[in-house]
Amino acid sequence: MADPWQGAMDHAVAVARKAGEIIRDALQNDMKIMCKSSSVDLVTKTDQQVEQFIFDSVREKFPTHSFIGEESVAAGQPCTLTDNPTWIIDPVDGTTNFVHGFPFVAVSIGFAVKKELEFGVVYSSLEDKMYTGRRGKGAYCNGLPLQVSDQTDISQCIVNSEMGSNRDPEVVDRIFSTMRKILCIPVHGLRGVGTAAVNMGLVASGAVEAYFEIGIHCWDIAAGAVIVTEAGGVVMDVDGGPFDLMSRRVLAANNKTIATRIVKEIDAFPAERDDAPKQEKQ
Amino acid sequence: MSDPWKECMDHCIAVTKEAGKMIREALKKDIPIMQKSSPVDLVTETDQKVEALIISSIKERYPTHSFIGEESVAAGAPSILTDNPTWIIDPIDGTTNFVHRFPFVSVSIGFTVNKEIEFGVVYSCIEEKMYTARKGKGAFCNGVPIKVSGQEDITKSLVLTEMGLKKDPEHFKAVMSNMQKILTIPVHGIRSPGSAAVNMCLVACGSADAYYHIGIHCWDMAGGAAIVTEAGGVIMDITGGPFDLMSRRLITASSRAIAEHIAQQLQEFPCGRDDAVN
Repeated sequence: MADPWQGAMDHAVAVARKAGEIIRDALQNDMKIMCKSSSVDLVTKTDQQVEQFIFDSVREKFPTHSFIGEESVAAGQPCTLTDNPTWIIDPVDGTTNFVHGFPFVAVSIGFAVKKELEFGVVYSSLEDKMYTGRRGKGAYCNGLPLQVSDQTDISQCIVNSEMGSNRDPEVVDRIFSTMRKILCIPVHGLRGVGTAAVNMGLVASGAVEAYFEIGIHCWDIAAGAVIVTEAGGVVMDVDGGPFDLMSRRVLAANNKTIATRIVKEIDAFPAERDDAPKQEKQ
Repeated sequence: MSDPWKECMDHCIAVTKEAGKMIREALKKDIPIMQKSSPVDLVTETDQKVEALIISSIKERYPTHSFIGEESVAAGAPSILTDNPTWIIDPIDGTTNFVHRFPFVSVSIGFTVNKEIEFGVVYSCIEEKMYTARKGKGAFCNGVPIKVSGQEDITKSLVLTEMGLKKDPEHFKAVMSNMQKILTIPVHGIRSPGSAAVNMCLVACGSADAYYHIGIHCWDMAGGAAIVTEAGGVIMDITGGPFDLMSRRLITASSRAIAEHIAQQLQEFPCGRDDAVN
Protein backbone atom coordinates (compact mmCIF):
# COMPACT_ATOMS: atom_id res chain seq x y z
CA MET A 1 0.00 0.00 0.00
CA ALA A 2 1.38 3.41 -0.94
CA ASP A 3 2.46 5.66 1.92
CA PRO A 4 -0.03 8.58 2.05
CA TRP A 5 2.60 10.87 3.56
CA GLN A 6 5.62 9.94 1.41
CA GLY A 7 5.13 13.02 -0.77
CA ALA A 8 4.99 15.29 2.25
CA MET A 9 8.11 13.72 3.72
CA ASP A 10 10.07 14.02 0.46
CA HIS A 11 9.05 17.66 0.33
CA ALA A 12 10.17 18.18 3.94
CA VAL A 13 13.61 16.76 3.16
CA ALA A 14 13.99 18.93 0.06
CA VAL A 15 12.87 22.09 1.80
CA ALA A 16 15.05 21.39 4.87
CA ARG A 17 18.08 20.97 2.62
CA LYS A 18 17.37 24.25 0.85
CA ALA A 19 16.81 25.98 4.21
CA GLY A 20 20.20 24.65 5.33
CA GLU A 21 21.80 26.34 2.32
CA ILE A 22 20.19 29.63 3.33
CA ILE A 23 21.65 29.20 6.81
CA ARG A 24 25.15 28.41 5.50
CA ASP A 25 25.04 31.46 3.21
CA ALA A 26 23.90 33.71 6.05
CA LEU A 27 26.90 32.63 8.13
CA GLN A 28 29.18 34.25 5.57
CA ASN A 29 27.60 37.66 6.18
CA ASP A 30 27.26 39.94 9.18
CA MET A 31 24.40 39.03 11.40
CA LYS A 32 21.97 41.33 13.15
CA ILE A 33 20.91 39.74 16.39
CA MET A 34 17.64 40.51 18.15
CA CYS A 35 16.37 39.29 21.49
CA LYS A 36 13.04 37.70 22.31
CA SER A 37 12.09 37.04 25.91
CA SER A 38 15.51 38.02 27.35
CA SER A 39 19.05 39.04 26.42
CA VAL A 40 20.02 35.39 25.94
CA ASP A 41 16.93 34.30 23.95
CA LEU A 42 18.19 35.19 20.49
CA VAL A 43 16.58 35.44 17.08
CA THR A 44 17.90 36.69 13.75
CA LYS A 45 16.47 37.68 10.38
CA THR A 46 17.62 34.28 9.12
CA ASP A 47 15.30 32.48 11.58
CA GLN A 48 12.40 34.53 10.20
CA GLN A 49 13.45 34.22 6.54
CA VAL A 50 13.91 30.47 6.75
CA GLU A 51 10.56 29.93 8.44
CA GLN A 52 8.82 32.06 5.79
CA PHE A 53 10.58 30.13 3.06
CA ILE A 54 9.47 26.77 4.50
CA PHE A 55 5.88 27.92 5.05
CA ASP A 56 5.55 29.35 1.54
CA SER A 57 7.03 26.25 -0.04
CA VAL A 58 4.86 23.83 1.92
CA ARG A 59 1.68 25.91 1.64
CA GLU A 60 2.03 25.97 -2.15
CA LYS A 61 2.05 22.16 -2.27
CA PHE A 62 -0.25 21.41 0.66
CA PRO A 63 -2.64 24.38 0.96
CA THR A 64 -4.99 22.72 3.46
CA HIS A 65 -2.31 21.78 5.98
CA SER A 66 -1.71 23.60 9.28
CA PHE A 67 1.51 25.05 10.66
CA ILE A 68 3.15 25.62 14.01
CA GLY A 69 6.37 27.56 13.53
CA GLU A 70 8.64 29.05 16.19
CA GLU A 71 8.79 32.54 14.72
CA SER A 72 5.08 32.70 13.81
CA VAL A 73 4.17 31.74 17.35
CA ALA A 74 6.57 34.42 18.62
CA ALA A 75 4.65 36.85 16.39
CA GLY A 76 1.32 35.87 17.97
CA GLN A 77 0.06 32.84 16.02
CA PRO A 78 -1.66 30.17 18.11
CA CYS A 79 0.24 27.05 19.08
CA THR A 80 -2.55 24.47 19.25
CA LEU A 81 -2.26 21.02 17.71
CA THR A 82 -5.44 19.86 15.93
CA ASP A 83 -6.22 16.66 14.01
CA ASN A 84 -5.43 18.42 10.74
CA PRO A 85 -2.11 17.49 9.06
CA THR A 86 0.30 19.88 10.79
CA TRP A 87 3.90 20.91 10.09
CA ILE A 88 5.79 21.73 13.31
CA ILE A 89 8.83 23.79 12.37
CA ASP A 90 11.94 25.19 13.97
CA PRO A 91 13.64 27.07 11.14
CA VAL A 92 16.96 27.49 13.01
CA ASP A 93 17.36 25.24 16.04
CA GLY A 94 20.49 26.45 17.81
CA THR A 95 20.23 30.18 17.08
CA THR A 96 22.88 30.93 19.73
CA ASN A 97 25.21 28.50 17.95
CA PHE A 98 24.30 30.09 14.61
CA VAL A 99 25.14 33.57 15.89
CA HIS A 100 28.56 32.32 17.07
CA GLY A 101 29.33 29.96 14.22
CA PHE A 102 29.41 27.02 16.65
CA PRO A 103 29.13 23.91 14.50
CA PHE A 104 25.57 22.68 15.28
CA VAL A 105 22.65 24.48 13.63
CA ALA A 106 19.61 22.51 12.50
CA VAL A 107 16.38 22.86 10.55
CA SER A 108 13.75 20.76 12.33
CA ILE A 109 10.46 19.71 10.69
CA GLY A 110 7.98 17.39 12.40
CA PHE A 111 4.70 16.32 10.82
CA ALA A 112 1.62 15.22 12.75
CA VAL A 113 -1.77 13.89 11.64
CA LYS A 114 -4.62 13.41 14.18
CA LYS A 115 -2.08 14.63 16.75
CA GLU A 116 0.20 11.67 16.06
CA LEU A 117 3.72 12.27 14.73
CA GLU A 118 4.11 10.67 11.29
CA PHE A 119 7.62 11.73 10.29
CA GLY A 120 10.51 13.91 11.36
CA VAL A 121 13.33 15.59 9.46
CA VAL A 122 16.33 17.24 11.13
CA TYR A 123 18.97 18.78 8.88
CA SER A 124 22.18 19.56 10.79
CA SER A 125 23.17 22.10 8.19
CA LEU A 126 26.80 22.84 9.07
CA GLU A 127 27.63 19.14 9.24
CA ASP A 128 25.49 18.37 6.16
CA LYS A 129 23.75 15.57 8.05
CA MET A 130 20.14 14.82 7.08
CA TYR A 131 18.39 12.82 9.83
CA THR A 132 14.97 11.36 8.94
CA GLY A 133 12.45 9.09 10.61
CA ARG A 134 9.14 7.77 9.24
CA ARG A 135 6.74 6.05 11.65
CA GLY A 136 7.10 2.30 11.20
CA LYS A 137 9.89 2.62 8.62
CA GLY A 138 13.07 3.29 10.56
CA ALA A 139 15.41 6.24 10.96
CA TYR A 140 18.33 7.27 8.77
CA CYS A 141 21.18 9.74 8.58
CA ASN A 142 22.39 10.56 5.07
CA GLY A 143 20.73 7.36 3.92
CA LEU A 144 22.42 5.09 6.50
CA PRO A 145 20.19 3.36 9.07
CA LEU A 146 20.32 4.74 12.62
CA GLN A 147 20.40 2.53 15.68
CA VAL A 148 20.52 3.67 19.32
CA SER A 149 23.29 2.46 21.63
CA ASP A 150 22.70 -0.94 23.29
CA GLN A 151 24.12 0.25 26.63
CA THR A 152 22.12 -0.74 29.73
CA ASP A 153 24.66 0.33 32.38
CA ILE A 154 24.11 3.97 33.33
CA SER A 155 27.71 4.34 34.48
CA GLN A 156 28.85 3.78 30.88
CA CYS A 157 26.58 6.44 29.37
CA ILE A 158 26.93 9.94 27.98
CA VAL A 159 23.90 12.09 28.75
CA ASN A 160 23.12 15.31 26.88
CA SER A 161 21.29 18.29 28.26
CA GLU A 162 21.30 22.08 27.94
CA MET A 163 21.21 25.04 30.28
CA GLY A 164 18.61 26.81 28.15
CA SER A 165 17.91 30.52 28.09
CA ASN A 166 16.05 30.92 31.39
CA ARG A 167 18.36 32.76 33.81
CA ASP A 168 15.86 32.91 36.69
CA PRO A 169 18.07 31.93 39.68
CA GLU A 170 15.61 29.31 40.99
CA VAL A 171 15.44 27.63 37.59
CA VAL A 172 19.22 27.75 37.18
CA ASP A 173 19.57 26.15 40.64
CA ARG A 174 17.32 23.25 39.63
CA ILE A 175 19.16 22.76 36.34
CA PHE A 176 22.51 22.61 38.09
CA SER A 177 21.19 20.38 40.85
CA THR A 178 20.06 17.86 38.22
CA MET A 179 23.37 18.07 36.36
CA ARG A 180 25.28 17.49 39.60
CA LYS A 181 23.18 14.45 40.49
CA ILE A 182 23.56 12.87 37.07
CA LEU A 183 27.32 13.42 36.95
CA CYS A 184 27.70 11.82 40.38
CA ILE A 185 25.84 8.60 39.45
CA PRO A 186 28.48 8.57 37.82
CA VAL A 187 28.01 8.68 34.06
CA HIS A 188 30.80 8.82 31.47
CA GLY A 189 29.98 12.45 30.79
CA LEU A 190 27.48 15.23 30.34
CA ARG A 191 27.52 17.00 26.97
CA GLY A 192 25.31 19.38 25.07
CA VAL A 193 25.73 20.63 21.51
CA GLY A 194 23.30 23.54 21.82
CA THR A 195 20.39 22.26 19.73
CA ALA A 196 17.64 19.92 20.92
CA ALA A 197 17.10 18.49 17.46
CA VAL A 198 20.77 17.51 17.00
CA ASN A 199 20.94 16.21 20.59
CA MET A 200 18.10 13.84 19.67
CA GLY A 201 19.91 12.90 16.44
CA LEU A 202 22.94 11.97 18.57
CA VAL A 203 20.76 9.68 20.73
CA ALA A 204 19.35 8.07 17.58
CA SER A 205 22.83 7.50 16.14
CA GLY A 206 24.15 5.95 19.36
CA ALA A 207 26.77 8.63 20.05
CA VAL A 208 25.04 9.43 23.34
CA GLU A 209 22.59 7.37 25.36
CA ALA A 210 20.15 10.05 26.48
CA TYR A 211 19.02 13.64 26.15
CA PHE A 212 16.63 15.47 28.42
CA GLU A 213 15.56 19.07 28.78
CA ILE A 214 12.85 21.18 30.43
CA GLY A 215 11.93 24.43 28.73
CA ILE A 216 12.24 23.48 25.08
CA HIS A 217 9.26 23.80 22.72
CA CYS A 218 7.24 21.45 20.54
CA TRP A 219 9.06 22.66 17.42
CA ASP A 220 12.42 21.66 18.94
CA ILE A 221 11.43 18.04 19.61
CA ALA A 222 8.66 17.00 17.20
CA ALA A 223 11.00 15.73 14.49
CA GLY A 224 13.59 14.27 16.88
CA ALA A 225 10.92 12.26 18.71
CA VAL A 226 10.13 10.23 15.59
CA ILE A 227 13.80 9.81 14.70
CA VAL A 228 14.72 8.48 18.17
CA THR A 229 11.75 6.06 18.35
CA GLU A 230 12.39 4.77 14.84
CA ALA A 231 16.06 4.20 15.75
CA GLY A 232 14.88 1.89 18.55
CA GLY A 233 14.91 4.39 21.41
CA VAL A 234 12.26 5.68 23.80
CA VAL A 235 10.81 9.15 24.30
CA MET A 236 8.95 10.03 27.49
CA ASP A 237 8.22 12.80 29.93
CA VAL A 238 10.96 13.76 32.42
CA ASP A 239 8.85 12.25 35.21
CA GLY A 240 8.70 8.88 33.45
CA GLY A 241 5.14 9.37 32.16
CA PRO A 242 4.12 9.41 28.49
CA PHE A 243 5.69 11.96 26.16
CA ASP A 244 3.56 15.10 25.73
CA LEU A 245 4.62 17.20 22.75
CA MET A 246 3.21 20.44 24.21
CA SER A 247 4.52 19.99 27.75
CA ARG A 248 7.90 21.75 27.19
CA ARG A 249 9.67 18.65 28.57
CA VAL A 250 11.37 15.68 26.98
CA LEU A 251 13.54 12.70 27.85
CA ALA A 252 14.85 10.68 24.91
CA ALA A 253 16.99 7.61 25.55
CA ASN A 254 18.33 4.43 23.99
CA ASN A 255 16.10 2.24 26.20
CA LYS A 256 13.70 2.27 29.14
CA THR A 257 16.35 1.10 31.64
CA ILE A 258 18.54 4.14 31.06
CA ALA A 259 15.56 6.49 30.77
CA THR A 260 13.99 5.46 34.07
CA ARG A 261 17.35 5.70 35.85
CA ILE A 262 17.73 9.30 34.68
CA VAL A 263 14.15 10.19 35.68
CA LYS A 264 15.17 9.57 39.31
CA GLU A 265 17.72 12.41 39.21
CA ILE A 266 15.76 15.11 37.40
CA ASP A 267 14.86 18.09 39.58
CA ALA A 268 11.92 19.43 37.55
CA PHE A 269 10.75 23.04 37.44
CA PRO A 270 7.58 24.51 35.94
CA ALA A 271 7.44 25.59 32.31
CA GLU A 272 4.27 26.96 30.74
CA ARG A 273 2.78 24.58 28.17
CA ASP A 274 3.10 25.48 24.49
CA ASP A 275 -0.69 25.16 24.10
CA ALA A 276 -1.55 27.25 27.17
CA PRO A 277 -4.16 29.88 26.25
CA LYS A 278 -2.45 33.20 25.62
CA GLN A 279 -3.12 36.09 28.04
CA GLU A 280 -5.73 38.54 26.69
CA LYS A 281 -4.16 41.95 26.05
CA GLN A 282 -5.64 44.54 28.50
CA MET B 1 66.59 33.51 8.00
CA SER B 2 65.17 30.03 7.68
CA ASP B 3 62.99 28.60 10.41
CA PRO B 4 64.99 26.13 12.55
CA TRP B 5 61.86 24.23 13.57
CA LYS B 6 60.01 24.14 10.25
CA GLU B 7 61.14 20.62 9.47
CA CYS B 8 60.00 19.45 12.91
CA MET B 9 56.63 21.01 12.38
CA ASP B 10 56.21 19.42 8.94
CA HIS B 11 57.11 16.05 10.45
CA CYS B 12 54.65 16.69 13.26
CA ILE B 13 51.82 17.38 10.82
CA ALA B 14 52.61 14.27 8.78
CA VAL B 15 52.70 11.95 11.81
CA THR B 16 49.54 13.56 13.21
CA LYS B 17 47.71 12.77 9.97
CA GLU B 18 48.82 9.12 10.29
CA ALA B 19 47.60 9.07 13.87
CA GLY B 20 44.24 10.47 12.81
CA LYS B 21 43.87 7.74 10.21
CA MET B 22 44.60 5.11 12.87
CA ILE B 23 41.89 6.60 15.07
CA ARG B 24 39.33 6.64 12.26
CA GLU B 25 40.12 2.99 11.48
CA ALA B 26 39.68 2.04 15.11
CA LEU B 27 36.28 3.73 15.13
CA LYS B 28 35.04 1.20 12.60
CA LYS B 29 35.55 -1.64 15.09
CA ASP B 30 34.58 -2.45 18.66
CA ILE B 31 36.52 -0.48 21.24
CA PRO B 32 37.49 -2.30 24.45
CA ILE B 33 37.84 0.18 27.30
CA MET B 34 40.22 0.20 30.24
CA GLN B 35 40.17 2.53 33.21
CA LYS B 36 42.92 4.68 34.65
CA SER B 37 42.39 6.58 37.87
CA SER B 38 38.64 5.91 38.10
CA PRO B 39 35.67 4.35 36.24
CA VAL B 40 35.33 7.53 34.23
CA ASP B 41 39.00 8.06 33.39
CA LEU B 42 39.11 5.97 30.25
CA VAL B 43 41.91 4.73 28.05
CA THR B 44 41.93 2.35 25.12
CA GLU B 45 44.50 0.34 23.18
CA THR B 46 44.22 2.98 20.46
CA ASP B 47 45.44 5.74 22.86
CA GLN B 48 48.51 3.61 23.58
CA LYS B 49 49.11 2.57 19.93
CA VAL B 50 48.79 6.12 18.65
CA GLU B 51 51.20 7.46 21.25
CA ALA B 52 53.68 4.70 20.41
CA LEU B 53 53.38 5.51 16.69
CA ILE B 54 54.03 9.22 17.26
CA ILE B 55 56.92 8.80 19.67
CA SER B 56 58.71 6.14 17.60
CA SER B 57 58.32 8.20 14.43
CA ILE B 58 59.76 11.29 16.10
CA LYS B 59 62.53 9.41 17.99
CA GLU B 60 63.75 7.95 14.71
CA ARG B 61 64.15 11.40 13.20
CA TYR B 62 65.06 13.41 16.32
CA PRO B 63 66.76 11.00 18.72
CA THR B 64 67.93 13.71 21.13
CA HIS B 65 64.50 15.26 21.69
CA SER B 66 62.42 14.72 24.84
CA PHE B 67 58.84 13.58 25.21
CA ILE B 68 55.94 14.09 27.57
CA GLY B 69 53.09 11.81 26.45
CA GLU B 70 49.88 11.13 28.32
CA GLU B 71 50.10 7.34 28.18
CA SER B 72 53.85 7.23 28.91
CA VAL B 73 53.28 9.38 32.00
CA ALA B 74 50.42 7.08 33.02
CA ALA B 75 52.92 4.22 32.71
CA GLY B 76 55.39 6.00 35.03
CA ALA B 77 57.52 8.27 32.80
CA PRO B 78 58.36 11.66 34.35
CA SER B 79 56.42 14.77 33.39
CA ILE B 80 59.06 17.48 33.85
CA LEU B 81 59.59 20.17 31.22
CA THR B 82 63.25 20.95 30.53
CA ASP B 83 64.94 23.35 28.09
CA ASN B 84 65.53 20.46 25.67
CA PRO B 85 63.32 20.37 22.56
CA THR B 86 60.25 18.56 23.90
CA TRP B 87 57.20 17.04 22.24
CA ILE B 88 54.10 17.18 24.46
CA ILE B 89 51.59 14.67 23.17
CA ASP B 90 48.00 13.70 23.77
CA PRO B 91 47.42 10.79 21.37
CA ILE B 92 43.62 10.90 21.81
CA ASP B 93 42.20 13.98 23.43
CA GLY B 94 38.55 13.13 24.09
CA THR B 95 38.86 9.39 24.82
CA THR B 96 35.34 9.35 26.29
CA ASN B 97 34.07 10.86 23.04
CA PHE B 98 36.13 8.32 21.05
CA VAL B 99 34.60 5.41 22.96
CA HIS B 100 31.10 6.74 22.26
CA ARG B 101 31.82 7.94 18.73
CA PHE B 102 30.82 11.46 19.79
CA PRO B 103 32.20 13.78 17.11
CA PHE B 104 35.13 15.59 18.88
CA VAL B 105 38.27 13.48 19.07
CA SER B 106 41.70 14.99 18.46
CA VAL B 107 45.43 14.33 18.35
CA SER B 108 47.26 17.13 20.11
CA ILE B 109 51.00 17.90 19.87
CA GLY B 110 52.81 20.92 21.30
CA PHE B 111 56.53 21.48 20.77
CA THR B 112 58.65 23.46 23.23
CA VAL B 113 62.26 24.67 23.24
CA ASN B 114 63.72 26.35 26.35
CA LYS B 115 60.29 25.74 27.90
CA GLU B 116 58.65 28.02 25.32
CA ILE B 117 55.98 26.72 22.93
CA GLU B 118 57.32 26.95 19.35
CA PHE B 119 54.43 25.32 17.47
CA GLY B 120 51.18 23.46 18.03
CA VAL B 121 49.22 20.96 15.96
CA VAL B 122 45.71 19.74 16.77
CA TYR B 123 43.99 17.31 14.42
CA SER B 124 40.25 16.97 15.03
CA CYS B 125 40.24 13.70 13.18
CA ILE B 126 36.54 12.85 12.81
CA GLU B 127 35.87 16.29 11.37
CA GLU B 128 39.21 16.09 9.46
CA LYS B 129 40.21 19.56 10.60
CA MET B 130 43.97 20.12 10.93
CA TYR B 131 44.72 23.15 13.12
CA THR B 132 48.31 24.42 13.12
CA ALA B 133 50.26 27.38 14.44
CA ARG B 134 53.91 28.39 14.38
CA LYS B 135 55.02 31.09 16.85
CA GLY B 136 54.94 34.45 15.05
CA LYS B 137 53.43 33.01 11.85
CA GLY B 138 49.67 32.85 12.45
CA ALA B 139 47.16 30.05 12.98
CA PHE B 140 45.43 27.93 10.34
CA CYS B 141 42.70 25.35 9.90
CA ASN B 142 43.21 23.12 6.84
CA GLY B 143 45.53 25.79 5.48
CA VAL B 144 43.02 28.65 5.85
CA PRO B 145 43.98 31.44 8.33
CA ILE B 146 41.81 31.56 11.46
CA LYS B 147 41.12 34.37 13.88
CA VAL B 148 39.41 34.65 17.25
CA SER B 149 36.01 36.38 17.37
CA GLY B 150 37.39 39.53 19.02
CA GLN B 151 34.36 39.62 21.31
CA GLU B 152 34.96 41.85 24.36
CA ASP B 153 31.47 41.81 25.88
CA ILE B 154 31.08 38.87 28.25
CA THR B 155 27.27 39.05 28.01
CA LYS B 156 27.48 38.25 24.30
CA SER B 157 29.91 35.38 24.65
CA LEU B 158 29.71 31.62 24.20
CA VAL B 159 31.87 29.88 26.79
CA LEU B 160 33.27 26.35 26.77
CA THR B 161 34.22 24.25 29.75
CA GLU B 162 34.19 20.61 30.82
CA MET B 163 33.06 18.80 33.89
CA GLY B 164 36.25 16.78 34.28
CA LEU B 165 36.97 13.27 35.37
CA LYS B 166 37.25 13.23 39.16
CA LYS B 167 33.92 12.24 40.54
CA ASP B 168 34.10 13.19 44.22
CA PRO B 169 31.16 15.38 45.28
CA GLU B 170 33.27 18.23 46.74
CA HIS B 171 35.19 18.60 43.50
CA PHE B 172 31.97 18.70 41.58
CA LYS B 173 30.46 21.29 43.87
CA ALA B 174 33.26 23.68 42.96
CA VAL B 175 33.06 22.88 39.23
CA MET B 176 29.29 23.36 39.12
CA SER B 177 29.42 26.51 41.24
CA ASN B 178 31.89 28.05 38.80
CA MET B 179 29.69 27.10 35.83
CA GLN B 180 26.63 28.53 37.47
CA LYS B 181 28.39 31.84 38.19
CA ILE B 182 29.56 32.12 34.60
CA LEU B 183 26.14 31.20 33.16
CA THR B 184 24.35 33.81 35.23
CA ILE B 185 26.65 36.72 34.34
CA PRO B 186 24.76 36.10 31.93
CA VAL B 187 26.62 34.69 28.97
CA HIS B 188 24.93 33.52 25.76
CA GLY B 189 25.59 29.92 26.67
CA ILE B 190 27.97 27.25 27.90
CA ARG B 191 28.95 24.22 25.81
CA SER B 192 30.98 21.08 26.62
CA PRO B 193 32.32 19.42 23.45
CA GLY B 194 34.54 16.98 25.42
CA SER B 195 38.07 17.64 24.10
CA ALA B 196 40.29 20.40 25.56
CA ALA B 197 42.38 20.69 22.40
CA VAL B 198 39.28 21.05 20.20
CA ASN B 199 37.86 23.59 22.65
CA MET B 200 40.95 25.74 22.26
CA CYS B 201 40.65 25.51 18.47
CA LEU B 202 36.98 26.51 18.62
CA VAL B 203 38.07 29.68 20.45
CA ALA B 204 40.90 30.19 17.94
CA CYS B 205 38.56 30.09 14.95
CA GLY B 206 35.90 32.31 16.56
CA SER B 207 33.18 29.68 17.07
CA ALA B 208 33.39 30.26 20.82
CA ASP B 209 34.69 33.19 22.83
CA ALA B 210 36.33 31.50 25.80
CA TYR B 211 37.34 28.17 27.28
CA TYR B 212 38.34 27.67 30.89
CA HIS B 213 39.26 24.51 32.76
CA ILE B 214 40.74 23.49 36.08
CA GLY B 215 42.17 19.97 36.16
CA ILE B 216 43.44 19.22 32.65
CA HIS B 217 47.03 18.37 31.78
CA CYS B 218 49.93 19.91 29.88
CA TRP B 219 49.42 17.49 26.98
CA ASP B 220 45.81 18.75 26.62
CA MET B 221 46.89 22.38 26.39
CA ALA B 222 50.28 22.47 24.67
CA GLY B 223 48.98 21.98 21.11
CA GLY B 224 46.14 24.50 21.42
CA ALA B 225 48.05 27.21 23.26
CA ALA B 226 50.07 28.30 20.20
CA ILE B 227 46.97 28.04 18.00
CA VAL B 228 44.89 30.39 20.16
CA THR B 229 47.65 32.98 20.63
CA GLU B 230 48.57 32.97 16.96
CA ALA B 231 44.87 33.45 16.14
CA GLY B 232 44.92 36.67 18.17
CA GLY B 233 43.51 35.29 21.40
CA VAL B 234 44.82 35.37 24.96
CA ILE B 235 45.76 32.59 27.34
CA MET B 236 46.26 33.01 31.07
CA ASP B 237 46.04 31.33 34.44
CA ILE B 238 42.61 31.15 36.08
CA THR B 239 43.72 33.79 38.57
CA GLY B 240 44.47 36.21 35.73
CA GLY B 241 48.23 35.70 36.07
CA PRO B 242 50.50 34.32 33.33
CA PHE B 243 49.71 30.94 31.74
CA ASP B 244 51.65 28.06 33.31
CA LEU B 245 51.74 24.93 31.13
CA MET B 246 52.27 22.61 34.11
CA SER B 247 49.62 24.18 36.36
CA ARG B 248 46.73 22.02 35.09
CA ARG B 249 44.54 25.07 34.57
CA LEU B 250 43.84 27.77 32.00
CA ILE B 251 41.58 30.44 30.62
CA THR B 252 41.78 31.12 26.92
CA ALA B 253 39.64 33.76 25.24
CA SER B 254 39.01 36.01 22.28
CA SER B 255 40.08 39.06 24.31
CA ARG B 256 41.74 40.06 27.58
CA ALA B 257 38.46 41.65 28.70
CA ILE B 258 36.58 38.35 28.47
CA ALA B 259 39.40 36.33 30.03
CA GLU B 260 39.73 38.70 32.98
CA HIS B 261 36.00 38.76 33.56
CA ILE B 262 35.97 34.98 33.76
CA ALA B 263 39.03 34.98 36.04
CA GLN B 264 37.15 37.24 38.46
CA GLN B 265 34.26 34.75 38.70
CA LEU B 266 36.25 31.56 39.13
CA GLN B 267 36.82 29.98 42.48
CA GLU B 268 40.09 28.05 42.64
CA PHE B 269 40.30 24.53 43.94
CA PRO B 270 43.40 22.34 44.18
CA CYS B 271 44.21 20.20 41.16
CA GLY B 272 47.90 19.33 41.61
CA ARG B 273 50.65 20.15 39.09
CA ASP B 274 51.88 18.01 36.20
CA ASP B 275 55.51 18.49 37.35
CA ALA B 276 54.82 17.78 41.03
CA VAL B 277 57.39 15.38 42.48
CA ASN B 278 55.62 12.39 44.04
